[in-house]
Amino acid sequence: MGTTASQLGKDTLSEYQELTFLTKQEILLAHKRFSELLTKDEKDIPNIRISLERILTLPELKSNPFRKRICHVFSTSEHKDGSLTFEDFLDLLSAFSDSATMEIKSHYAFRIFDFDDDGTLDSDDLQKLVNCLTGETDETRLTPEEMRQLITNILEESDIDKDGTVNLSEFQHVISRSPDFVSSFKIVL
Amino acid sequence: MNLVRELVAMSTRDRVRAIQDLPMSFQEKKHIRWVLKHTGNKSPCHCYNLTSFRKCGSNVRSARQTLELWQGTMKEIGGKFGTSVLSYFIFLKWLFMFNVFSFLVNFGFITIPQLVIYITHPFFFKGYFNYTVMYYGSYSNETLIGAMDYKMQLGYFFTIAVYMLLCGIALIFSMANSFRKNYVLADSTSSGAWQLLCSWDFSITNERAVRQRKNNLRIQLKESLSEKAQHEQLTSSEKLKHFGIYLGSWLLSTSLTVGCGASIFFLCQYEIKAETLLVPFVVSLMNMVIPLFYSLFNKFEHYSSQRRQIYALVLRNVLFRMCILGVLCYYWMNVVACWESVVGQALYRLVIVDFIFLMLGSFFGEFLSNVVGTRLLPRLGVPEFDVARNVLEIIYAQTLAWIGIYFSPLLPAIQILKFFILFYIKKVSLMHNCQPPRRTGRAAQMKTIFTALLFFPFFLGALSIVGYTTWSLTPSEHCGPFRGLNSTFSVVEVWIKEVEAIPGSKWVVFIYQKVIRSEIFYFLITIIILIIVYIFWQVSQGRKQLIVLLRRQIVNEGKDKSFLLEKLQNLQKSQELKVRLERSTIPGQGLLRTMLTIGTLQRSRRRTVQPPSIVS
Repeated sequence: MGTTASQLGKDTLSEYQELTFLTKQEILLAHKRFSELLTKDEKDIPNIRISLERILTLPELKSNPFRKRICHVFSTSEHKDGSLTFEDFLDLLSAFSDSATMEIKSHYAFRIFDFDDDGTLDSDDLQKLVNCLTGETDETRLTPEEMRQLITNILEESDIDKDGTVNLSEFQHVISRSPDFVSSFKIVL
Repeated sequence: MNLVRELVAMSTRDRVRAIQDLPMSFQEKKHIRWVLKHTGNKSPCHCYNLTSFRKCGSNVRSARQTLELWQGTMKEIGGKFGTSVLSYFIFLKWLFMFNVFSFLVNFGFITIPQLVIYITHPFFFKGYFNYTVMYYGSYSNETLIGAMDYKMQLGYFFTIAVYMLLCGIALIFSMANSFRKNYVLADSTSSGAWQLLCSWDFSITNERAVRQRKNNLRIQLKESLSEKAQHEQLTSSEKLKHFGIYLGSWLLSTSLTVGCGASIFFLCQYEIKAETLLVPFVVSLMNMVIPLFYSLFNKFEHYSSQRRQIYALVLRNVLFRMCILGVLCYYWMNVVACWESVVGQALYRLVIVDFIFLMLGSFFGEFLSNVVGTRLLPRLGVPEFDVARNVLEIIYAQTLAWIGIYFSPLLPAIQILKFFILFYIKKVSLMHNCQPPRRTGRAAQMKTIFTALLFFPFFLGALSIVGYTTWSLTPSEHCGPFRGLNSTFSVVEVWIKEVEAIPGSKWVVFIYQKVIRSEIFYFLITIIILIIVYIFWQVSQGRKQLIVLLRRQIVNEGKDKSFLLEKLQNLQKSQELKVRLERSTIPGQGLLRTMLTIGTLQRSRRRTVQPPSIVS
């Protein structure tokens, strides 16, 4: 089922519609934007991968603090280099689309926040998450004391089974109580 | 393989949903779809029908998306200012669409028949302000005779009634929906760090906005830390001081409201003819100036949470506007001689002047404070877009249109124009004068509050005014569709009498007399509704208790787990000791078993977080 990158057949389009939360317009727009990132020769290669650097030139991702994590989570590359095929790209847009469910959104948010990919958010992950959100430079970071306090608060609030880490179901429980999450976990092309 | 079996059992639509909902990569989903296609579909024909049906649905969805108004603008605003400011624009757009609908209804069922009557009887055209289709007074009480008779009286009455009913239903549904999503699930007690961490707006694309947001988030995180530390340090004298300030500012704001209401009342009496723009001018001026005072009071008060502060501000503003509108309505109802048209004109003027003041407001409120903030007093800084104030302004504008719907059926046309222009003005003003909000407000809850506000005080207020007018006031004798009747509602009585003459329509009369006109019916309905509400309330209380119990259970299980782990570790240590002591013949079977148990425990902990393994 190789798709040529230059055009979308009717069958592929309906398959994409069936497997993602995207509408026809959104898929076509995504395809257009994806093709714009390709050079002329690459357009004819089926299942072409676009490197992380080139994906991040998209204005929708360019200034997002989680841009690299997002690419890594959605990439199916064997080299773990964060490169995306068109289908990976669609998967990304589907998870961030308006009609994606809370479960999907929280699942991917969890994986984005899980910086070491070990399946739980431990205090290292949380620290990285906070740094990502406040800025990486020394003057914008929280002091170590503040960070320690913050992480204690976070764990106190969400670590229900008291094992020192936040797992997916605990995370989803937290997310279900913050109604803003669904409306803000959104990227539109 | 289990997953596939489950999926095969589902109907096509559910299956598509379920596949979409799997947190897997695209290739894995594709594979599942392929497997499903080849594991025997028992009824391919039926299935085909369903897929085509679904395709039709998704076509409608994508067609709606192409028609989506202001999509690019919305994205731009969201990208720069975040979701909470965007919610204002979404609300404005929603009201705009709402007015388009009301205009179509009123134009189709009231104005077009009237225009047809005009054409057949040209002498109706007297060319005076009162006699345009804008106002109640110009509508006739005739019957349009055609293929089917169209009674203007009935047409007018039922259009307004059905319109109000539809408005109410639409508002209730959208309110209930967002309540369920945002309040029932939301736990207001924990306003902790997670709320902040999860509130990152992924739709923001502007580089500067991102930097600013990071900055704000850092400040908020620090605040939340210090708040937690300081929370208990309020002495009773401080509490007393805060309470005094609350009391003072409430007294002050209430007296301001009462004073304004009284002055409008005297102004109206002075301005008997109500033909100048003085009253609408003064009212709109007050609407612009008084909220500024309220925000000033707000600065002096110390609220424990930002949300409380916003609620207090909104409540004061709502009271103020309701008071002014109440005084105006009281005054309007006492005008004589074709009073409906006079009221229609007064409302029309008020709507127009309100619009002018809205534009002035965004000029003064945002442009001037931007100039002041950047040039004269850098301490104040660039202003933020005040979502609460702006929303209240458009809700007020919409209330005027609702009150006016009976007196001036084409008011929604003006409203459409007003909101359309307002959208662009607000957008330009926002882009040029404002900075992104410093605090990440709760956008989702904000939307619920907007709808609730629109419904509770304002829509119900407008509805009761229109209801009072149609039910108990005598329509003017010389103009309008209801001339010569005791009250507007008696048009239904007259109609029922006519219906009675038609054979085979006994049931209509019966329903009218036994159901609509009987108090017992309403009494019973009220009691039934009260009982249902009580039952649901009990159910929700029960669920709340259940949630508390379940939480406790989870915590207990966590404790159990750590207790067991600890015990195992102790056991392991003692085993090791034993092994070391004995050192010889017996192999460490116990130890081995312990290790195995720990291993499985850890694995089971892992399993909860990994995505379901791939099929086949």
